[in-house]
Amino acid sequence: VAAACGGDDDDEGATTDEGDQAAEGVQGGELVDLGVFGQGPPEHIDPGINTTVDGFQIGGSVYDGLAETDYSDPENPETVGVVAESWDVNDDATEFVFHIREDLKFSTGEDVLPSSFVRGWERASDPDFAGDYSYLFGFIEGGQAKLDGEAETISGVEADDEEMTLTVTLTDPYANFPAVAGFQIFMPMPQEVDELEDQSEWERGIMIGNGPFMMDAPANDQEIVLVPNPEWDGTKYDEALGLPEQPFLDKITFKIGSDIDTSYNAFEAGEADVTNFAPGRYQEAQDNWSTTIDTPFLGAYYFMFNDRDERVGGPDNLLLRQAISMAINREDINTDVYEGSRTTATGITPPGIPGFEEGLCEFCNYDAEAAEAAYQEWLDAGNELAEPLPIQFNADSGHEPVVQIIIDNLADIGIEAVAEPIPPDDYFGQLAEGACVFCRVGWLADYPTYDNFTFDIFGTAALDGNNYGYSNPEFDELVAEAKATTDADEAGELFRQAEQVLLNEDTGVVPINWYRGQQVYNGDKIANLVEDPSGHVIWETVSLTG
Amino acid sequence: MPSYIIRRLLQIIPTVFVALSFLFFIFFLLPGDPAALIAGGAERNVDPGVLERVEARYGLDDPLVVQFVHYWQRTLQWDLGESFLTRENVNDILGEKAVASLRLAIWAIIIEIIVGIAVGLLSAIRRYSIGDRLTTILTAAASAVPVFVLGFVLQYLFAVQPNKWGWPEWARLRTSGIGPDTWTFFFIPTGEQWRYLILPAITLASVTTALLARMTRGSMLEVLRADYMRTARSKGLGERDVVLKHGLRNAMLPVITLIGIDFGTAIGAAVLTETTFNWPGLGSQIVLAVGQRDLPVILGLTLAVVLAYAFVNVLVDVSYAWFDPRIRLGKGEQA
Repeated sequence: VAAACGGDDDDEGATTDEGDQAAEGVQGGELVDLGVFGQGPPEHIDPGINTTVDGFQIGGSVYDGLAETDYSDPENPETVGVVAESWDVNDDATEFVFHIREDLKFSTGEDVLPSSFVRGWERASDPDFAGDYSYLFGFIEGGQAKLDGEAETISGVEADDEEMTLTVTLTDPYANFPAVAGFQIFMPMPQEVDELEDQSEWERGIMIGNGPFMMDAPANDQEIVLVPNPEWDGTKYDEALGLPEQPFLDKITFKIGSDIDTSYNAFEAGEADVTNFAPGRYQEAQDNWSTTIDTPFLGAYYFMFNDRDERVGGPDNLLLRQAISMAINREDINTDVYEGSRTTATGITPPGIPGFEEGLCEFCNYDAEAAEAAYQEWLDAGNELAEPLPIQFNADSGHEPVVQIIIDNLADIGIEAVAEPIPPDDYFGQLAEGACVFCRVGWLADYPTYDNFTFDIFGTAALDGNNYGYSNPEFDELVAEAKATTDADEAGELFRQAEQVLLNEDTGVVPINWYRGQQVYNGDKIANLVEDPSGHVIWETVSLTG
Repeated sequence: MPSYIIRRLLQIIPTVFVALSFLFFIFFLLPGDPAALIAGGAERNVDPGVLERVEARYGLDDPLVVQFVHYWQRTLQWDLGESFLTRENVNDILGEKAVASLRLAIWAIIIEIIVGIAVGLLSAIRRYSIGDRLTTILTAAASAVPVFVLGFVLQYLFAVQPNKWGWPEWARLRTSGIGPDTWTFFFIPTGEQWRYLILPAITLASVTTALLARMTRGSMLEVLRADYMRTARSKGLGERDVVLKHGLRNAMLPVITLIGIDFGTAIGAAVLTETTFNWPGLGSQIVLAVGQRDLPVILGLTLAVVLAYAFVNVLVDVSYAWFDPRIRLGKGEQA
C-alpha cells in the first residue's frame, strides 16, 4: 500500500480522489509490466532483505506496513497509519506505541497482530539473515546487540496482542521514526516463516503477506505474477489513503527483461503495457505515450568529492571544489541528456521532503567566470592538479554524456578532467574501497524525511559506510539535533543549516538534478497509473480504461 | 575408432580441470570482496560481524587451497553448490539456462548451415557473377554489423512496426523473453514459441553464417580446381553430382570445424544476443554472475560450457572420418 498522489494528465477513465475517498476504476483485466524489472531480475523481493526500489514494487504490493506516506499534497507528504491505526509518542520521541488495526489478515487468513511485526523484525535483524538495511534496527534499543549476535531478541520491542499495541523504545530521540517504521524491513510476517530452516527460502517460494496482492507462483527468471489477495480490504484503512476495496486488476505480470532498450521495444511492439523511459527516447515517449514524468521524485542525482583524496579533499581544496561546482552547466545536462525530463537541483534534498527549501546551494548556479576566478585563486595559493581530474561513474548506465558535459565545462575554466568509467556491477563496491575522487552517485528516498538525505548519506557515522570520507562535526551535531526535534519547523531549520554546511561551507557534494517519474505506459489501455515520489507504483489503484 | 573416441573423451578431463582451476584462482584476483558483496556490501560498507558470518557460512574464511579442494570434491559428485547471492541450487540454474542456450544454439546453427553453405556453394560455382559479388558484400556487412544493432533493427522491423501497422497477431514476431516454452522433440517450437525464437536465432546466426559462407566459398573454390574434380567430370558424372558428391564433401573439413566452434560459442558465449532478446541463456547468466562475484554460478555454468565445447570438438574430429574416409582416426600416419 502506498498513498496515492496526483497522477498523469493523460490518465483516462479511473481516477483517484485527492485522498478523501477510495479510488474508482474498472474491475478486472490483466496488465503486463516491463518497467520494474526491464533491465534485469531483482536481487531480492523479500522486504526483509531487499534494498532496491524495483524489488519493493513486489514487497510493497504483497505487504502492508505500520505506516505509509500520504503524498496527496506532494509538497507536504505526511506519514499516515496503514496497519497502525495511530501511534502515541513520549515527549522526547524515544518511545512509540503503535495501535494496530483489528481484523486485518494475511492472505492465508491468519490475523495480523502486533506479534506479527515482532516476528518480522526479529527475522530481519537475525545476524545470519540480516540484509543491507538491517542497520535501521540500530535505532531501536537492543537492536544493535541483536545484529551483533549478542542478544537473542530486540529488547526495545514489545507486542501486546490483547491490547493490539506494539511498543518501540529507541536508543536516541527520533521524531520521524513512524516514517521509518513503515519502511519495508519492518513489515509483519506470518507464522509460516518460523517453519523455515533458511529464511532466504521465503522469497524463492510464494511469500505470504498482508498486502493488496499475493504471489500467484514462486518468482522465476522470466516473470513474477501477482493476483489480488482476497483477504485484503482497502476500505479498512484510513480514507486518506484512497484505497479501493480490492485491487482493480485481476493479474499483474512483471516480466523480467535484460536490457532497457529491448524492454522499450517490447513495449512498443505491444508485448507490455508499462515500461521505463529508455535513454535518448524521453521526448519520443512523451509524444507517443502516457508517462509519469510529471511526478517529482524524492531523489537526487549528484557527484561526490572524496574528502580523503588529497587532490580534491580537505579545506585546502575548498576553492577547487567550489570552482568545479560553479563550472557545471546543470541546465545543459538536463536539456541535452535528459531532454528536460528532470529538475535542475539547487541542493541535495529534493522538493517534497518536509523542511525542503529551494536554493540552498550557493555554488550550484552556472557561473563560468566565478568558477575560473575561484580556480585561479586556488592555483595562486600554490596548488595544482598534477594530472587530469578523474571522474568516476558506472559505465553503460547512461551517465557518459553527463560526464562529457562536465569535462567540457571544466575545460572551459582550465581544469583538465577525464572520464573513468567503472563496470556497473562493481561500481559501488569500488567506491566502497576508495575509488571515488569525483564520482557520480544517486539517491532515492527510503522514506520522505530530511535525515534520509543528510544523516544516511553524509553523516560521519553514516550507516552507508560513508564511502566518500565526508566528515564534519558541525554537520553531525546539526543533524543529530534535528533528528531529535519534534517540532517540524525547528527540525527543518536545523536540517537546512546542516545541508548548507555540506553544500557551501564544505562543498563536499555537487548536486546535478532531481529525478522525476520514470514510467511510460499505454494510456489507451491503462488508467490511473500513479508512481509516488519514492518511485513506487501503487498497483492496487491501477485499472484498465474499460 | 572406438578407442580413439574413448581417448578423446578422456582428454576432456584434464581440459576441464585446468580450465576450471584457472578460473577458480582468477576469481580471487578480481576486485571486490565476494563476502562483502554477499553480505550486501555492493552499495554500503558491511558490518564486520556480518562479514565474518558470511565468510564462515560459505567457507570463504578457509585457506584458498582448502576451498579449492572442497570445490573439486563437490564438483566430482556433480554438486555445483548454491548461488552466493540467491542461494539457488546451481544445478537447477544450469538445468534451465543450458536447455535454453542449447535450443537457441541449435536453431542458429541450423540457419548457419543451411544459409551459409548454400550461399557459399552458389558463390563458388558462380564465381564473379553478380550473385557472388553481392554475397561477398553482404557477408562482409553481416560480419561487421554489431549483434545488438542487428537485433534492434530486426525488433523494429518485425515486431514494433507490425504492431503499429496493426498486422495480425501471428505475423508479429516477439522482441523479448523465451515465450511459452513449448517444444516438441526438445528443440522444435510449437504453438506461439516460434515467434519468440526466430529473431534471436537469426541474430545469433548472422555473423557466423556470413563467415561460414565465405569459408565454404573459399574451400569450394580450392576443391573445384582439384584434379579429382576433372576426373569426376571426365567419367561423365553430371555437374550436380560432381559438385555435391565430390566437391562439397571434400570442401567440408574446414567448414565443419568452423561449425563446431560456432556451436560451442553459440551455447556459451551468445551474451549479446541473449541480452538483446532477453533470452535466458548461459552466456548472459555467466556475465551477470561475474559482476556479482557469484563463484558457484560462474564455475557451475562454465563447467557446462567447457564440457559442451569439448564434446563438440570430439564430434567434429569424428565427423572428419565420415567426410573424408581417407582419414583413419587414431592411426599413426605412414611416412
